[in-house]
Amino acid sequence: MKPAAFCLTSDPAARAFYRAALAGFALKFYPTAAAFLKAPPAAGLAVIDAALPDMGGGDLVAALRGSPGTAGLLLVLTGAAPYSPAAAAASFDSGADEYFAFPPDPLLFRARLLNLLGRGPAGRPRPEKPAEYEFGDLLISPEARAASVGGKKVRLTALEFDILLYFLRNQGRVVSRYVLLEQVWKDAAEAGPRAVDKRIEALRRKLGRFGSKIGTIFRLGYIFRL
Amino acid sequence: MTPRPVILVVDDEPDYLRIASRIAAKAGCAVLTAAAALPGVELAARELPDLILLDVGLPDVSGFEAARRIRKVPALAKTPIIFFTVRSELDMVSQGLALGAAGYVLKPFDPDELLRRIKAAVLPA
Repeated sequence: MKPAAFCLTSDPAARAFYRAALAGFALKFYPTAAAFLKAPPAAGLAVIDAALPDMGGGDLVAALRGSPGTAGLLLVLTGAAPYSPAAAAASFDSGADEYFAFPPDPLLFRARLLNLLGRGPAGRPRPEKPAEYEFGDLLISPEARAASVGGKKVRLTALEFDILLYFLRNQGRVVSRYVLLEQVWKDAAEAGPRAVDKRIEALRRKLGRFGSKIGTIFRLGYIFRL
Repeated sequence: MTPRPVILVVDDEPDYLRIASRIAAKAGCAVLTAAAALPGVELAARELPDLILLDVGLPDVSGFEAARRIRKVPALAKTPIIFFTVRSELDMVSQGLALGAAGYVLKPFDPDELLRRIKAAVLPA
């Protein structure tokens, strides 16, 4: 059976590139996220342009990955050239399986897609999140719920750990106190924005020199950048 | 001089209202705000903005319902709407896009992504 790929792009140059680089594949094209979401497939491989007309590719990947019906799709994001490690890291954090700056090397692109298809057929269980995050000597393991700096364990409360995880998964995004209350505290009625500030102050202190990576944006909230 | 494009931001979270307004201002737009759906629909019908940024989870009626009401105003039938919501289910995203939204942005926003969306919607290509 022919390998297949769903290609989400509105760019004619990208369509031509996919036709050439993926000759022999069964390709299906979608110009927008809306077109793809009319009947999203449960399995297969999708190549998604990071700048779709109606939605950011990273946001779409996060939404597809977060929904049980589409969590098994293999997702490849393509961003603007030149290749940026930050854009690639953000893509992987959204849940992408692979990231390329467009146009990628055609041979490498084809080989990587075939490799993904061979290695991760639909339905095969895959880890939802990376097992560990490592930034220099800051190590965070969501599974063990443990963090360390330079090999030394950082003692975090359950809530502080959840805040840190939320920041990790939303790097580079402005996170307001209210969103933290809603997404991390869950029961916002019992806490207020001041509680968030106090908890973040404690988290910064405990993270030592990594504490300054949690930036404050005056009157808006916080942003986590590594 | 061409007048600045007008953007209406509708969100019940004051922080997001401020963030989105600041980004819209950065795109060179004049900004109107509403903290609930129905006042947002009223403001839209009165001011006829060039773009509407609409939160989905609003306290009075949903952003989707607000969009339906906005579309019933003949002068707003084609006004681009960008929905935003906290990272959520695909059904919600599909529903928003199926309503003819010009875009869908997940919260917490990537400021550059929102700025790109706003520019694409209000500035001539």
